[in-house]
Amino acid sequence: MKLSGGNPLAGTEMDLSPAKRSAGQNPRWRQPRALLEKVVETGLFLAALTGVVTIILIFLFLFKEAVPLLLAPGPTASLTAKNWYPVSTPPVFGLWPLIAGSLLVTFGAIAISVPLGVGAAVYLAMVAKPTVREFVKPAIEILAGVPSVVLGFFGIAVLAPLIQDIFGLPTGLTALTGAVTLAFMAIPTITSISEDAIAAVPGKYLEAALSLGATKWQSIVTVVVPAALSGVSAAIMLGIGRAIGETMTVLMVTGNAGVIPDSFLVPVRTMTATIAAEMGEVARGSLHYHALFVVGAVLFIMTFMINLIADLISRRLKKGA
Amino acid sequence: MEQEKIVATGLNLFYGEFQALKNINLSIRGNQVTALIGPSGCGKSTFLRCLNRMNDIIPSCRVTGRITFDGIDINQPEIDVVALRKRVGMVFQAPNPFPKTIYDNVAFAPKLHGLKDKRKLDEVVETALRQAALWDEVKDRLHKPALGLSGGQQQRLCISRALAIQPEVLLMDEPTSALDPISTLKIEELIRELKEMYTIVIVTHNMQQAARISDNTAFFLVGEVVEVGTTDVLFTRPQDQRTEDYITGRFG
Repeated sequence: MKLSGGNPLAGTEMDLSPAKRSAGQNPRWRQPRALLEKVVETGLFLAALTGVVTIILIFLFLFKEAVPLLLAPGPTASLTAKNWYPVSTPPVFGLWPLIAGSLLVTFGAIAISVPLGVGAAVYLAMVAKPTVREFVKPAIEILAGVPSVVLGFFGIAVLAPLIQDIFGLPTGLTALTGAVTLAFMAIPTITSISEDAIAAVPGKYLEAALSLGATKWQSIVTVVVPAALSGVSAAIMLGIGRAIGETMTVLMVTGNAGVIPDSFLVPVRTMTATIAAEMGEVARGSLHYHALFVVGAVLFIMTFMINLIADLISRRLKKGA
Repeated sequence: MEQEKIVATGLNLFYGEFQALKNINLSIRGNQVTALIGPSGCGKSTFLRCLNRMNDIIPSCRVTGRITFDGIDINQPEIDVVALRKRVGMVFQAPNPFPKTIYDNVAFAPKLHGLKDKRKLDEVVETALRQAALWDEVKDRLHKPALGLSGGQQQRLCISRALAIQPEVLLMDEPTSALDPISTLKIEELIRELKEMYTIVIVTHNMQQAARISDNTAFFLVGEVVEVGTTDVLFTRPQDQRTEDYITGRFG
């Protein structure tokens, strides 16, 4: 915990250095600084502790509220049912439609946003002329600031009719619509941060690759992007993180049907949207109320797992560096 | 044996309005070491980078005049720079191994140029590392990060990376300026051995180094070649007053 190096005995009884010996006669010599160190250390420790304790408390609260449904005799079995009909009698709290809906929309968004976002970043960092880059990059960054509810409007008003027409569907509010809208949200983050990471790769790597007879494209793919990989994967994680917890947009554009989807082109209901839409209407303490907490707990665990997997992947990727 | 491998004729190079090379006429003999000396900013590195067209990546750069490589003009637009750079390897001033493993650094170019067979690749890597006198030091940690090597080892890794494509010419841009004396000595020994198989052009600020390792020396000053000749003659009986001033340390 000692931030300053030097005398390992400093401040102990055995410290016979001039600083310690004179400290007796002249208290200004050392004590105030040591006190300040202590205060800063404790402050930082408390800051770190707050974060960890908060997470643990949220976790405990979530599970405390979820447990009553898990213990309830009747409807517990229905957690594995194929439908989410919370207000029918008896209520059916099948989680699969919600899990499937969330996975479909999230992975759809990843599949669209990662290639487009990273591709745009490579273009901006390595290919675009400086004038183009100076115009396009801020434009993309402004896109990151568009409120999600506005993107939801866009999804309902523009995207949904488009998808309905293209595929000849009864409704345009589908998993695909949600995935595309979420991708719009993730792309600016992915592009902006990846571009920073790629542009920060030292030019000497590119020069070395070119001098070995690699084409510009080969140099970018085999040397420059791998060298920026930790930054690029952080960008992807932030982008996905924004998409996975997103509620408002998906609530607006996915149609919210609580059945297990069989394709990208049907309405789905995600976990986040379910909680947001129903939390305001349930009676506190009812089974439905506890069911929503179960949904929240499942979402928490899934997000945790995804973060964990992403961390493992980026660690493995960094190994070669 | 000692024919002219590379010949520059009437070579001019401009960075925008600024003329960095003025009417350079210089021949590089095969299987010899040619040193380019001169004060900073005199154009010797720029000239070196003309020989594998590395100046192409600088947008404002314009070249006129001829450089022939085995009689073929490499400044023609139809020349395939990739093919050229496979025949003309380059080692840079500061060691710049890729942030990959030692093995992957050396295997990079052979893989890129289509060598897939794992056993052949292993052979190429071993040969290149032996040629750069690095094999014994790294053979037990080929799959460790190259950036964990010392500066001198990194530079020899860069040399073996360049040798792995089996070039004919090796361009070295102040390869020892960032290294300690022992690493420098190793690389100088290496250069002496490598000239059996390769034609070497080396830019150096170190006059003793040029005198120790090169067969021919060209002295550059503000974008022109002032004097060129065998190293023995140039360092003992320089023809031009400016050459004499420079090699005796009276200016520069």
